Amino acid sequence: MSSGSSPELPKAEKGIIDAIGKLGEKAKLIYAKPNRIKFSVQRDDLVEVARFIRDELHFDHATNVTGTDFPKDGQLEITYHLGSHDGGEELRRIILAISCRIPSNDPKLPTLVNEYPSVLYHERETAEMIGCVFEGHPNLGRLLLPEDWTDIPPMLKAFRLPGRLEGE
Amino acid sequence: MVAQELESQQQQQQPPKKGSASLHSHEGPGLNILVGKAREVIQQAIVDPVTYLANWGRLYSLWPVHLETACCSIEWGAVSGPRFDAERYGILEAFGSLRQCDLVVVHGTVTRKMAPRLRFIYDQMPEPKWVIAMGACSISGGVYFDSYNVLPGVDQVIPVDVYVPGCPPRPEELIDAFILLQDKIRNSNIKKTS
Repeated sequence: MSSGSSPELPKAEKGIIDAIGKLGEKAKLIYAKPNRIKFSVQRDDLVEVARFIRDELHFDHATNVTGTDFPKDGQLEITYHLGSHDGGEELRRIILAISCRIPSNDPKLPTLVNEYPSVLYHERETAEMIGCVFEGHPNLGRLLLPEDWTDIPPMLKAFRLPGRLEGE
Repeated sequence: MVAQELESQQQQQQPPKKGSASLHSHEGPGLNILVGKAREVIQQAIVDPVTYLANWGRLYSLWPVHLETACCSIEWGAVSGPRFDAERYGILEAFGSLRQCDLVVVHGTVTRKMAPRLRFIYDQMPEPKWVIAMGACSISGGVYFDSYNVLPGVDQVIPVDVYVPGCPPRPEELIDAFILLQDKIRNSNIKKTS
């Protein structure tokens, strides 16, 4: 983990890091650069941290949800990218990312639809592409893949194209 | 001696005078092609007039489906437009119904989700029907050949008559493909296609 607030960081970023620092162990800083901050949270604290960021820090919408596969660790990382419309000029340029590592053999995560309604389709796509199950999501049906898709989710590292040899 | 030879060559290279010789030197090749074409047409028309008439009717009234799957459709737009103008070859996009169409031009990438739809479209068209695969993606998958989501070649789903390589092909190449397809139709047997 890098150091919390480096001296060249702008004031708004420092304020956000200090505010999230009040949560203590629940949110760990991954990196902090101008315009980009990333925190890591545990699966059970995700909803609470998201609510805190929405209510106290005025990050009022989610721009993106992404999933990454780490086969060596046996983990998936789900990242929510949050932005602000109403937080003023300083906050509007910042993208705040919250990442959550979950085990690959138990890929479950509580949904953030109630906190950030704009993740509805992003979570559907992430669930389809990486196989993470968002508990409490209203509809996790097929979205982008063909209706007759029977293979594992295609963005996992273990996915192989049918008809291809290993290592090709 | 050299000067004399040069002079004689120049005399030989001089254009022949008007008369019977000029037919072979200037208008000869054009006339020969015309006579050859006429012989072909007359032979076909006399040997099998029904086939000739049916093919002639199909030849210059190809109606492509309005189905644009990827970015090659921009080149298709240029082909249909006034500059390249495929309509002068008898090819005009049909916007009404699939029942009026007899040609599918697959414009570029076909995803695996699109593949059954493409087959439905092909099945809804009446016989006889032809398919042109346009662009590298529809021939082999192109740069997406190892994607989980892209069909590696539309000939896995529908039979293709003419392949037009390119990324995307120039409008002249597509017009060339139309002329190739018309050649194919001209020499086809109606008993097999209908």
